[in-house]
Amino acid sequence: MGNKLQISATLNCDVLIVGAGGAGLRCAAHLLEHKPNLKIFAVTKVSHPQKSHTSTAQGGLAAVDPKDKTDKPIYHMFDTWKGGDCSSDQDVVKKIVEGGWDEIRWLEGRGMHLSRDEEGNISKRQFGGHTNEFGKGDVFRAVFEADRTGKGMMDTAWGEALKHGSVFINSAVVTELLFNEGCCVGAVLYKIRDGEFVTVLAKATVLATGGSGQVFRITTNCRGNTGDGIAVVLRAGLPVMDPEAVQFHPTGIVGPGILASEALRSEGGILRNKDMEPFMDRYAPKMKNLAPRDIVARSIETEIREGRGIMNPDHQIEHVWIDLRHLPDYVHEVKLKEVASFFKTYANLDSRTQLCPVRPSNHYHMGGIPTNAFGEVQGDSGRIVPGLFAVGECACASFHGFNRLGTNSLLELLTMGRYVGERVETYLSEKPISAPKGAGEASLSLFSSYLSGTGKENVGRVRLEMRDMMTRKVGVFRHEKGVSEAIQELMAFKERAGKTSVSVRDARWNQELLERWELDNLLDNAMTMAQGALLRKESRGAHFREDYPVRSDEFQYHTLVSMTEFGKVTFGRRAIDMSLFNAKDEYSEHFKIIPRKY
Amino acid sequence: MSKIFSLTLTIKRYDPDAEKTWFQTYKLEAGGILRFVDLFRRINVEQDATLSWASSCEHGQCGSCSVKINGRPMLACELLVENAVELFGTTEFKIEPVTVAPVIRDLVVDWEKAYERVHRAKPYVISPKQLPPGVTEHVISPQEIARYEDATRCINCFCCATACISSHRSFIGPNAAMASIVRMMDTRETAKEERLDLLYSEEGVYRCHTSKACTHVCPKKIDVAHFIALAKEGEF
Repeated sequence: MGNKLQISATLNCDVLIVGAGGAGLRCAAHLLEHKPNLKIFAVTKVSHPQKSHTSTAQGGLAAVDPKDKTDKPIYHMFDTWKGGDCSSDQDVVKKIVEGGWDEIRWLEGRGMHLSRDEEGNISKRQFGGHTNEFGKGDVFRAVFEADRTGKGMMDTAWGEALKHGSVFINSAVVTELLFNEGCCVGAVLYKIRDGEFVTVLAKATVLATGGSGQVFRITTNCRGNTGDGIAVVLRAGLPVMDPEAVQFHPTGIVGPGILASEALRSEGGILRNKDMEPFMDRYAPKMKNLAPRDIVARSIETEIREGRGIMNPDHQIEHVWIDLRHLPDYVHEVKLKEVASFFKTYANLDSRTQLCPVRPSNHYHMGGIPTNAFGEVQGDSGRIVPGLFAVGECACASFHGFNRLGTNSLLELLTMGRYVGERVETYLSEKPISAPKGAGEASLSLFSSYLSGTGKENVGRVRLEMRDMMTRKVGVFRHEKGVSEAIQELMAFKERAGKTSVSVRDARWNQELLERWELDNLLDNAMTMAQGALLRKESRGAHFREDYPVRSDEFQYHTLVSMTEFGKVTFGRRAIDMSLFNAKDEYSEHFKIIPRKY
Repeated sequence: MSKIFSLTLTIKRYDPDAEKTWFQTYKLEAGGILRFVDLFRRINVEQDATLSWASSCEHGQCGSCSVKINGRPMLACELLVENAVELFGTTEFKIEPVTVAPVIRDLVVDWEKAYERVHRAKPYVISPKQLPPGVTEHVISPQEIARYEDATRCINCFCCATACISSHRSFIGPNAAMASIVRMMDTRETAKEERLDLLYSEEGVYRCHTSKACTHVCPKKIDVAHFIALAKEGEF
């Protein structure tokens, strides 16, 4: 490059969808099925939509089958409300749960290879936290495609978007949202492959940029999940909601963090520390290794913190063991086939004869860009930002509250993808769209500053150290001192980020330049997470404060965090919708503030 | 797990600005269960921030990190150092981009170009069978699915197309062909004629020379050659 950065083209479309994973493409497919002539741009950071992180989801997709006499949507709503530690919006919960089975039909009718029972009907499996009759018994609610449900879903979604003529813009990221008279009129994109910036003017813009797991060193998330959408929204002066609500899975495989299913423990696996002690006996004398996710995660962290962990020499990551050696071969070969193969592939271990290393791994961000039940993005004090929508993991409606149930994320991204499509459909008008003055200047000046950096810091090193710090101080355990230190350290990391330089000047697939920008996004995400975690002096769902270990009604609201300058935040609140409780019908009592006890 | 290997990675580089191609050698010490993507990341932090490489999920589910290692197409996220040493009997590795699409920079290829073949094969149900009134889902027996289930696991990493002796020329390629074969075998698809037109076209399955390299290199252990053989025989 070397030359001055510039906007190389201005493109026009009806709907700009940034993020072509499950949520984004479900939205695109809905729109094109209903209005085939729409011009839809589906932008993805990865090299092709099929490479999206949605494809990695394993277990299943929760949806209540109307043909199932043992299950009802109201039970699923209750499980979601309870699992989210009474922090989900009940209007959103109702809307999503009621739309679930329509999505299964949509997928099934379009070729998803769902697993079947002997009669050839769609199979369903049980999943943690999903019950019937308000916690009474287990229920079969999760449809699945073997151990690759997300892939099956993603293949169907991108296939349909392709079939109906969506235009894919691959290997591109959003660097700036454009507003005219308060309405979002599109965005500026940086096309990684071509090294070009383009302005896209759109009647509606949908953010579906996915998660932010790369904030943490150990994560199940893909390399590109750097919270880009959230960072861009913050830079537009808009708030994020519940950034502190981050879920950690108790058993990630050391070192890549890949999720090792809960099945390890339900089939009889025993967690052990370096002294081979089955330590869960101490933390949960009754349930032991079958205790809920968050308790197991905290127990493992405590063992590691108190010096009873084991250091993996190759990855330099501390962990505990899961002992599966006593289980019969049948369990290894059939019931735990997939996870046993992960240990073999990524740690070269035979779970039948060897101990396997696990530790908590960042998994999912419940918080995100605040929206209403239709995916319309909200600014401060709940005002809707016209023309801007958000869906999927980057968004927060909020369906999951402070803790997501397994199989509820795939459900959410599909149903909300469709609902956003429906809303966008009614929003589109013939009003001509024009670019605001100075469109793209912020992006060009930001990227120019990266290219003109001359410091000696290395982007990769700063990123690694920041992620390590976040895992230690704003991870499974949080307390006032640690989180306050984290905020100070983030300020220092931001300063170091400013002292990095980019040695490749050509902008075509400039990995250094992209990672430099990602570092700023990660820092913005991390700062709002830490600030939210510091403010919330209670424990709720996945947010655990050692100094305030119980939930407090004083904090019965959503946190809103805005950040116009790094580290300078302003807070707001959004009330949690209680419409199911307020309905005053036969089920209302189940939707009051209840303890999350299993 | 604690053995340290002294590795020599000779990586094919390409600078699109200077239009220059060269091989660059990196030496590093690494533990046995580090993966090749971990090695690339370490090179970026410790030795050379300019080395570009592709990946996404990094656990074998997206197929973004395919590269040629000592000539063999593989997923860099699944290859552990100690397994690579055992497989190739050396600690020296030559790493090159896959050959199914133009190189953008270093190990990064233009996947969009590679995917054009898959898009031509129409990776979706072209014309789904209509359900009778009152019926909301198709009935498909597990035995029926078992016939083609393996083919649905394909992640389009293009390792097969890289190894294929025919796909660089006229053949649409093993993974693209398989995308259409799956829908030939799926009872929900009614546009069989249209699919046959492609599968038996000039770029169709008869271009395959049955080297079975596709099956041999598939990281998902799919018997790709089996599905192409079914198509050749019309046994959908």
